[in-house]
Amino acid sequence: MSSDILRSNPLREGLAQRSIPDPCTLVIFGATGDLTHRKLVPALYNLAADGALPPAISVVGFARRDKSDDVFRTELEEAARKFSRQAINDDLWKNFASSICYHRSEFDKLEGYEALARRLDEMDAARGTGGNRLFYLAAGPDQFEVILENLRKSGLNKARPGAWSRVIVEKPFGTDLPSAKRLNDLVENAFDESETFRIDHYLGKETAQNIIVLRFANALFEAMWNSRYIDHVQITASEPLGVEGRAGYYEKSGALRDMVQNHLLQLLCLTAMEPPAGLDADSIRDEKVKVLRSLRPLTGEDVFKHVVRAQYGAGSINGKRVAAYRDELNVNPESVTETFVAMELNVDNWRWAGVPFFIRVGKRLPKAATEIAVHFKSVPPVLFRATGESIDDNVLVIRIQPDEGISLRMSAKMPGSSLRIEPVKMDFHYGTSFGKATPEAYERLLLDAMSGDATLFARRDEVEQAWKFVDAIHEAWLHRSDDLAVYTSGSWGPGEADELTKRHEAAWRRL
Amino acid sequence: MNNAEFIELGIPVEIGKIDKKLGELWDSSDDTKTRASLINLVVYTESDATLAADNAVLASVAGRHACRAILILGNPSAPVSEAKAWISAHCHLLGKGTRQICSEQITFRLDGDAANALPNIVFSHLDSDLPLCLWWKADFPEPLDEKLWAWVDRLIFDSVSWHNPHHQFSMIRHISSSGKSAAVLCDLNWTRLHAWRFALASQFDNAAAFPHLSDVESITLRCAPHSQIAALLLLGWLAGRLKWTLDAENRVFRTSRGAVIPFHIEENPGPNLSFVSIKSSDARFELKLAEGSDFFESSIQTPGIPEICQILPAPRERLEETLLAELSRAGRHTLYTESLEIILPLLKS
Repeated sequence: MSSDILRSNPLREGLAQRSIPDPCTLVIFGATGDLTHRKLVPALYNLAADGALPPAISVVGFARRDKSDDVFRTELEEAARKFSRQAINDDLWKNFASSICYHRSEFDKLEGYEALARRLDEMDAARGTGGNRLFYLAAGPDQFEVILENLRKSGLNKARPGAWSRVIVEKPFGTDLPSAKRLNDLVENAFDESETFRIDHYLGKETAQNIIVLRFANALFEAMWNSRYIDHVQITASEPLGVEGRAGYYEKSGALRDMVQNHLLQLLCLTAMEPPAGLDADSIRDEKVKVLRSLRPLTGEDVFKHVVRAQYGAGSINGKRVAAYRDELNVNPESVTETFVAMELNVDNWRWAGVPFFIRVGKRLPKAATEIAVHFKSVPPVLFRATGESIDDNVLVIRIQPDEGISLRMSAKMPGSSLRIEPVKMDFHYGTSFGKATPEAYERLLLDAMSGDATLFARRDEVEQAWKFVDAIHEAWLHRSDDLAVYTSGSWGPGEADELTKRHEAAWRRL
Repeated sequence: MNNAEFIELGIPVEIGKIDKKLGELWDSSDDTKTRASLINLVVYTESDATLAADNAVLASVAGRHACRAILILGNPSAPVSEAKAWISAHCHLLGKGTRQICSEQITFRLDGDAANALPNIVFSHLDSDLPLCLWWKADFPEPLDEKLWAWVDRLIFDSVSWHNPHHQFSMIRHISSSGKSAAVLCDLNWTRLHAWRFALASQFDNAAAFPHLSDVESITLRCAPHSQIAALLLLGWLAGRLKWTLDAENRVFRTSRGAVIPFHIEENPGPNLSFVSIKSSDARFELKLAEGSDFFESSIQTPGIPEICQILPAPRERLEETLLAELSRAGRHTLYTESLEIILPLLKS
């Protein structure tokens, strides 16, 4: 009903086309954690500063520590001042903070949820939030089950007539296919798929969203977006950081499950998918899941031919010596957890037959960069053969972060009487062309969840299909460890990764 | 204005050598400068007095919306025909780095008959393939030069400064209805209203508030003495959206069910608009804007629910902020035309 009002509000016509959120109460489980402080509260503040939050909104922090509403607000204010992309305006913060309160409870105590339900009813009456509830699971993944179970038992998962109840689930969505299915079953016990919003913050980034615009709003590219013209695609996510105090988590996950299963496969889907029937959530997600289903499975020995895993050794980053992974705090000295993965994937469908997709992700690499590079095929080596000139292939690069933008490498004649051909680059930088700051991914994603728009969230079948693919690789790794290479921190990974591309007469891009 | 005063507009150049001199300007800069452009932004003014301010606005705009800026000072009544030009670059640092992003500006002074060369001056100095936004800072001339308007993608003007708004709006309607121009009409007065419209609309997103839209009994607006047009445009928008018709003689709106809705515009020194109140039989919706504040105070009072107070972003009153807001918007402003048609009879009086 509330959404119907928004759609029928005649004063809304002609205003910004962004998602229009319903009045609601946002309940954050794990409200004293890092995610809430660094991302969620700054994002909510920025939405308030942009006037994008609904007139009636309440934010309830649910956590175990004992603290008052005032103490909680003060902590959030400090975090917002530190992490918000916009400076904090005192009056606006005061107004926004008046909508925040703290609810102390253990995650496994049903009474705490029953008390929450009573409190939310009171807040609905007092603030006009209309019974709409958005539950954000920002606690550790080991707490998801008990939180979901208690939401169900306390009836908080059930919306009142005319209202809605939704849940946002932070990654990781499980640690393998069985655990993802189990988590999805738990979510499904409490919430319908249409009420479930699985966050992959890469999808909230402007540049990730721009992939669809670049591909389907430019005839120039889409006409050539196939195996006839494209030689191969490289997707890279590199970072100079090491495990940075996350050893407990990382030891169990590794680069494959931490990055490839979600972020990199999502980028691959956006790059490889067919044009969707529309821009609605399911049309886009239908096409993405088709890509995942078309991925040629990697099992058994194929894994060792097409996937390289490695671990960083000692080295230097930005002139500073850094320790090897196995020497990091809380890391098993005999750990076989991979901090680097490179792989060759094949999308077995009509469009991409014979086009390898190379993916690499790693820690302690020389610089932070996430990008998709589409390498076009060479021109026939006929016309310029006599000149002895080698011609670089065209490369279209979509930079996801940092320095978001798009560049196109092409060949040009060098000025002069002789025929010399050199590569030149046409470069589009978001920051250069659009001076205004782009919103943080969490701003967009929170707004979309409040508005019921699931386009930028992963659907159950997407998540499970991605796990199915990744699990097969992991299964093969369990049977041997002699393939684990070591690379020097500050390098671009082990030599074995270069062999993957060499087989296709290609080479990793120099970033 | 003498040449000394023009120095801050850049390097004087012969009009026929502008492209060459612009090339030299970039060649002489170091490698850390990046030239960027999204649009051609042409500003036409006939006021010597505002030229320095216009130049400052362009410098500020170029920093956040990369453009080829062309500033033209026309003086058609000057006794001697003369055309002069200057070139300059507006640079700013990108983020926290050291790379400079630069937009270029060409400034013209067209005296006497040279002012008639305006279309040619514009056409020959556009950055090709980029949209043309023409900010017309003078009264629209008669007859209108259709060749010029036909090239314009977005025609920007500010009705807040018009002395004879009814006549000027009629000219605007002629431009848009002649079929010779597909230009989007961009009244900065309307741009300033965006935050008001957004805030008013969001007040009625609330389930408890929405039914009161069909039950409005009166509207009160408070505006600065020179901002009557802004207040009327906001009323025109409300009337258009809620299907009210104007009874200009009695200065009231009538609903489709025949109910009469009086409106009151109070003049008060301060922001262009400072207060809007919409009253229904048992509810009240108010937006207040204090002078110098970046935020509205929004208040919703409906039966059975405690008053909802909210702080919402208000329009930025500085001209460059308004212009940037307009440039960052896409599409046609169909509701502007609709609102204008509704309030035109009130502008005659």
